[in-house]
Amino acid sequence: MQSAVSKSIVIDPVTRIEGHGKITLQLDANGRVEDARFHVTQFRGFEKFCEGRPFSEMPALMARICGICPVSHLIASAKACDALLAVRIPPTADKLRRIFGLAQVVQSHALSFFYLSSPDLLLGMDADPAKANLFGVLEKKPELARDGIRLRQFGQQIIERLGGKRIHPSWVVPGGVSEPLTELNRDAILAGIPEALAIAERTLGWFKSIMENFREEIGSFGNFPSLFLGIVKKDGGLTFYDGGIRIVNSAGEVVANGLDPADYPEYIGEKVESWSYLKSPYYEPSRYPQGIYRVGPLARLNVADRCGTPRADQELAEFHELQRTAVLSSFHYHHARLVEILYCVERLEQLLTDPEILSKHVRAVAGPNSLEGVGCCEAPRGTLFHHYKIDEQGLIRWANLLIATGHNNLAMNRGILQVAKHFVHGERMTPGMLNRVEALIRTYDPCLSCSTHAFGEMPLVIQLFNASGDMVDEVRRPC
Amino acid sequence: MARVLVLGYGNPLRSDDGLGWRVAVELFRANASPDVLVLPCHQLTPDLAETASLVETVIFLDCSHKGEPGKILCEEVRSQSGPASFTHDLSPAALLALAAELFGVCPRAYMFTICGECFDPGESFSPSVSSCIPGLKAMIRRQIEDALLDTVGRQKLVS
Repeated sequence: MQSAVSKSIVIDPVTRIEGHGKITLQLDANGRVEDARFHVTQFRGFEKFCEGRPFSEMPALMARICGICPVSHLIASAKACDALLAVRIPPTADKLRRIFGLAQVVQSHALSFFYLSSPDLLLGMDADPAKANLFGVLEKKPELARDGIRLRQFGQQIIERLGGKRIHPSWVVPGGVSEPLTELNRDAILAGIPEALAIAERTLGWFKSIMENFREEIGSFGNFPSLFLGIVKKDGGLTFYDGGIRIVNSAGEVVANGLDPADYPEYIGEKVESWSYLKSPYYEPSRYPQGIYRVGPLARLNVADRCGTPRADQELAEFHELQRTAVLSSFHYHHARLVEILYCVERLEQLLTDPEILSKHVRAVAGPNSLEGVGCCEAPRGTLFHHYKIDEQGLIRWANLLIATGHNNLAMNRGILQVAKHFVHGERMTPGMLNRVEALIRTYDPCLSCSTHAFGEMPLVIQLFNASGDMVDEVRRPC
Repeated sequence: MARVLVLGYGNPLRSDDGLGWRVAVELFRANASPDVLVLPCHQLTPDLAETASLVETVIFLDCSHKGEPGKILCEEVRSQSGPASFTHDLSPAALLALAAELFGVCPRAYMFTICGECFDPGESFSPSVSSCIPGLKAMIRRQIEDALLDTVGRQKLVS
């Protein structure tokens, strides 16, 4: 006879993600998963402690939010500062910022795919957790591990050549960039393109060849209707730097297009729940929580009509063939990430061979001409907004950040519930169940320290609770 | 091409934890030898494996949280595959294992540590660590000189 009480499972920490969080699964009286919550248990508060600082310090300050994607924060922050200056930056500075951002996407996507998720894809979801790491990949398919390291190195070295260092570079400044690109650095970056392109092609080919092995995961990993949000160019092309916001629904129909990122408070609402420091943004016209949307690689490929580079366009067409509607399963974030890497490498070559790329005119200089500015770009994990208000002296009086991982909060929670309902049964978590719940989160590649601005230790846990609120199982793994 | 790689790592915003990073920055500024490459970094990442595979000797610098504050330790490091939940942060032994398995060469390696006392947010060292830094730098210089005299430091694993 079943107990009349429901129970819950706790997973803490969730491993192989950036930052740390906790999952609780609530079971009903029959031991079936009834509810799931992804708790982000850290807090940092960049929006508050930047108050009173000169706005010109913001890009360098905001880059400190993240060690993985500091470049995206630099770019969004500098764009918000461009708006405060009310300047149009020189065309070469615009292209150099784009190069910087693309290099960031390559290295961050390489980290996510090769270092964090490839063990699941190569060794399987039921693999021994002790082997589910890059050394396990190394043992079974060393060329995949080597490719991951080389590709990440390619992106990191571009950032280092342009920004002077790999982590927290401060080359992007209000009005442009601080130094022009040298011929030596341009040629060195271009020399790495063929290898990076070959790795991107090879990895995409491999991923497509194993996708069939994950039919069950494709069907249950965040495979639900939602909106998708991302920036597109005026012609509907993929972009990471600027453009209008486009939103498509699960049928693939455009529900909003050409929205000005500066007007985001008009169409994005921000909800706070008591059980997480991560905000839950939603599409305001659809209300909370129905206004659930996804951002990041899957969303960008769902909202884009084309990439604008030859090989990536072929791959995008194939990607759109996965489903007649929008591609709904979050498992396909992996696929989308690889298509984006291919695009980034191709686009880097286009930009680096631009005849104006070595121009010395890379910065517009002005004082503050506007008291409010919004900067927006596509970070590796999705759309990123920085919004600042200053006083007449140019000191920050208010700041709001909308981070990619935060946009995906509602979708991650719904995805965890779906995958837990499918794979978790009874009061004990097997390693395979645990890993599938974690693997679902990894598809989004969340960066928790980025999105909540935490400080200190931050590992994640899964806890299982019964209907009386008693914890009946808890899983903790070393992080 | 450099023959000796010095990798000093740590968080310079966490007091003594920044020891490896700060000492590496000072060594980098003072270094004029093309045979020596000094890299300050926040942590050891897999993309350093190839760089490590290209030299004969790697010298790691870090701050330890175990032991008597201010005590300097030097020990040889052997390659060993990494931790179970490896993401983008490696131990010196795991970095050497990656260099060996991915790039076919495992350099000889030494680890220099000073036991730290304070790991709170801050940009200065505790007195016990601060007083040992000149001695640590002298030991590293001697290790570099010895390494440059040694012509068989690199152990080729794959022809």
